[in-house]
Parts: sequence; structure tokens; C-alpha cells
Amino acid sequence: MYLALRELRFARGRFALVGAVIGLVAMLTTMLSGLANGLVDDGISGLRRLPMTHLAFQQGAAETFSRSTLTDADLARFKAASGGDVEASALGVSFVNARTDGGKTVDLALYGVPAGSFLAPRGDAEAALEGRPGLVLSEELEEQGIAVGDELTVVGVDERLPVLGFTYAGSYGHVDIAFTSLETWQHLLYGDNAKGRFSAIALRASDDVTPTAPDGMEVVTKEQAYGGSPGYTGETQTMAMIQWFLLVISALIVGAFFIVWTMQRTRQIALLKALGASGWYVARDAVGQLGVVLLLATTAGGAIAFAVGGLIDGTSVPFRLAPGPALVSLTLLVVVGLAGSLAGIRRVVAVDPALALRAAD
Amino acid sequence: MSLHLDNVSVAVPDGADRRVLLAAVDLAVGPGEVVAITGASGSGKSTLVAIAGLLRAPDSGRVRIADVDATDLKDRQRVRLRRDRVGIVYQAANLLPALTAREQVAIVAHLSGRKGADGAARATELLTRMGLAGRLDARPAELSGGERQRVAIARALMNDPRVILADEPTAALDPELGEQVMQLLVDESHRLGAATVVVTHDPDHASRADRRLQLHRGTIGEVAAR
Repeated sequence: MYLALRELRFARGRFALVGAVIGLVAMLTTMLSGLANGLVDDGISGLRRLPMTHLAFQQGAAETFSRSTLTDADLARFKAASGGDVEASALGVSFVNARTDGGKTVDLALYGVPAGSFLAPRGDAEAALEGRPGLVLSEELEEQGIAVGDELTVVGVDERLPVLGFTYAGSYGHVDIAFTSLETWQHLLYGDNAKGRFSAIALRASDDVTPTAPDGMEVVTKEQAYGGSPGYTGETQTMAMIQWFLLVISALIVGAFFIVWTMQRTRQIALLKALGASGWYVARDAVGQLGVVLLLATTAGGAIAFAVGGLIDGTSVPFRLAPGPALVSLTLLVVVGLAGSLAGIRRVVAVDPALALRAAD
Repeated sequence: MSLHLDNVSVAVPDGADRRVLLAAVDLAVGPGEVVAITGASGSGKSTLVAIAGLLRAPDSGRVRIADVDATDLKDRQRVRLRRDRVGIVYQAANLLPALTAREQVAIVAHLSGRKGADGAARATELLTRMGLAGRLDARPAELSGGERQRVAIARALMNDPRVILADEPTAALDPELGEQVMQLLVDESHRLGAATVVVTHDPDHASRADRRLQLHRGTIGEVAAR
């Protein structure tokens, strides 16, 4: 790195320019990582926070609550088959629209859970579900001005339900979650004709136990069930595709810069080799030089993205920057950038030291 | 002999034919001897420097540097032999724009694996001897043509070479500066006991050498002894 570091100082304008481009790509990648996390949170955080490990759906429901209907008989059958190794609880999930007395409408991802079930969010919320029919809402809705004691009218069935309390913030399918008792959920969905129906069976098993499904049901892990959240798969795939495109663009930018830079330095590289540098030395010097630029630029871009993310966080934009995924994105950017530079490394190694002399006469 | 070319031939493709650059050239230069080689453009002068400096391999013939036969050496061994035993002064100095005068010279020590203050101290000593004590931290763009060429000579001397090769070292300089640079090369070669080959088109500069040779269409011949 003897020459590489000195060249970085000497041609700092040129390196600052390419560094700025890489930094902007890093910033964009980090912001996208935050947006992807935010969208994932918006899509499945309400499901992720349910204290369960697996879900049993009706056979063929493709992990989608709205396509799955099970009954108390199925639950009994499941419990008999699992022999007590797995905790199981009925779970109803549906989307409803409700209206406050002030006329404001709110969408709710409504979870119907049996009183006393391991699914009940917290002690106070669990107690609330045991009493008269009502709702325990995501904290997000409290921030929107809804208070304990308010009454919400469920649109369609015109059922008025009081707000009994609040629980952890969470959403499912980009809609804030709300808990109610399984009986209330069944009443809202089926009226007086529920016949013990619900959406799926939530399961809680220890790490060394894999629940198996009786006939007519299929068991998936909680993570596999995320795919059933409306829009989840399409959103995550779109974000991933954009991130991969950015990585490819970054590799192309770095690769193109490296090739042009190498061509401009051909005589200098030839001189270095004529002075006794090996092909490995000049390659290491060139890639190391680019590595320093990549590292500094991605660090700066990532830091700026975190600063901007701090301003966005808490607004209505689904944005959540997690250091882990952001670090993975930035590391990938450096690795892919270095990989892009490898496209030009052959040129560096292949430079003829005789070019240090003028063209042979 | 410190430098020995034995029956060296080089040809390059030229359309359907091959153009001969060097034809069975023999050259022997002893320790401390300075040989000037003159010749018209295209006579093979730079090719001769490239072969003697192990920058390219001949099509046939043998090259010996400081009693080491370089002809059949592997690439890595050739690089090491060139680095440790050969100093090359290029036309128009050929300095690295990002480095100061001291760094231009010290990089040779760095490439030889001698890192740290020793290299810088040796570079300072050599540049001081070249009359550049006040220009140690100047970059090539801040140096005059003569100063740049003296830095290039200091760089060539950094590893105490057994062979010094200079390819038109005075071509970019005015006559007075050219004289000074040529004399510097001759003096340093004698002081160091290095076999030195100076390619030049200037008869006056060539006359300062111990021996003069002329290249003509790839063949070499003695012009006159000093």
C-alpha cells in the first residue's frame, strides 16, 4: 500500500468523486434496508410477537388465515395426536373496519384468542379478555388518540365494543392488531352460527419438538406463516430485487472506475513492475486502494442513512433501521465492489514492465 | 563481466513477416565500465535496454547479469534479479506523480522488502549527493527536467546495482543539463563499479563513455575507444 495510500492523498479529488457515488449507493442501500424492515414490521410484526412457534392451517390454505377454517373438533384431534408435547390454542384472525364515536375509522387486524390462552399478550390484557366483550388494541392506536373506555363500532355488523386496554405495538398486513376473546371474534364473524370455528391453531413447542399435522391440516413454522400476510411476499421480493440491483450497479460503477483508473495508470504500473514489484504486489496495491475508498464511502453513506433514518423513524413511513441487516447490506456492498474491481485486475497483472521504457524503437 | 549478452536475437511480427530488432548481438560490459550505444531510430537501442534490463526475454541467446544467467530464470527470479542488481534510468525520468523525490527513491527499498527509516535515510543520502538536498519533498510537477532526471538516477542507484542501464537519459534536457546528467552517470558508475550502458543519440554525450558502440539495423559494432 506504499503507493496506494500516497495516490489516495495525491488524487483525492478523483477518489472523492467516485467515493461520493459509492457513498450515495451505500446510503440508498441502507435506506432501502430500513424501508424493507419497516415494511416487514408493518406486514407481520403482530404475528411475529405472538408467543408461538408453529401454526396449523386447514389443508390447502397456503398459510393464509382467510382461507383456513378449523373447528373445536380439529383442535381436540390435534391435541390428542400431539400427546401433550405441544401447547395448542385456537386463533381467529380477520380484518375489520371500525369507527370511533367521533366518526374516525380505523382498520384492525382482529385476533380472537381464548381467555387464558398462552396467546394473550400480557397479564392485564388477558384479564380484559376474560370479562365482558371488548378490544385490547395495539399501542399505535393509543398514539392516534383512542383511549381506554372509548367505544368502537365494527362496521358491517354494527357491534359496539369498548376499548379495554392496550398491548404491544404490532400490525399484520399493514393493519394495527387488536385482541378480543375468541367468542367475541366468532360472534363478529359468524353471528350466532359460529359452530366452534376459527382460523388456525397456534402451537408452542420446544426446540427439539416438531409438531406434525393430523389429516386435513398442515403445520408451518411461524416464519413460514409470514408469507400469508397480504402483500408480504411481493413487498419483500420487490425490496430484495431493488437491493440486488443496487449491488450490481455498485459493482459496475466500481469495476468501470477501476478499469479506467488502471488504463490511466498503465505506465505507472509498468514502472512499478520494472522497479521490481511483482504482479501480486501491484494487484494488491490497486485493490487495496479501492478497498479503502469502498470502506470509507460505505461507512459514510451508512452513517448518513442512519442519521436520516432517525428523522424518518416515528413518522407514518414504514421505516425501521436495524444495525444487523444494514451492516450486512453495507458489507455486501464492499464485497461486491471489490468483486467488481476484479474484472480489471487482469489488466493490472498483465501490464508489461517494458512499457516503462518508451515504445521500442 | 557484470553484463553479458551472448548472441541475442529479437524479432517482432510485421505484417506477414518478422522485423528483426536485434540480430545475434554480443555485448560484454565490465565492472565500472561505461558503454555508450548510439544509433538511428528503429535501430534496436531500446530493445537492447529492455533485454539487458530483463524487461523482456530474447527470442534466442543468453543474458548474464552479475554472473547469473538470467535466460532460463522463472519470472519471479527475473524480477528479483532486476530489482536487486539492475538500475534503470528512463527517458523523461518516468517518475510517479504522487510521490515526493525522497519517496521516488525510497520505494525501491520498499519493493525490496526494506521498509522503514533505513530506506528514507538512504534515499536522502543519494538525493543529497545528486544536489537535491533542498528538493526532497518536491513532487515531479514541482521539479525541473534536470532535477527529475537526477531523481531518476538516484532511484537507479538505490540498490547499489551491478548494472546500470540508461535509455536516452538526456533526450528531454537542454545540452548543458544533458552534459551534467551524463557526467553524473559516468561518475556514479565509476564510483560504484557498475557496468553501465547509456543509450544516446548525442555524439558529445557518447564521447564521455569509456567505449562507444553503434547499433545499425539490429547489429552492433564498435565505433571508437576513448
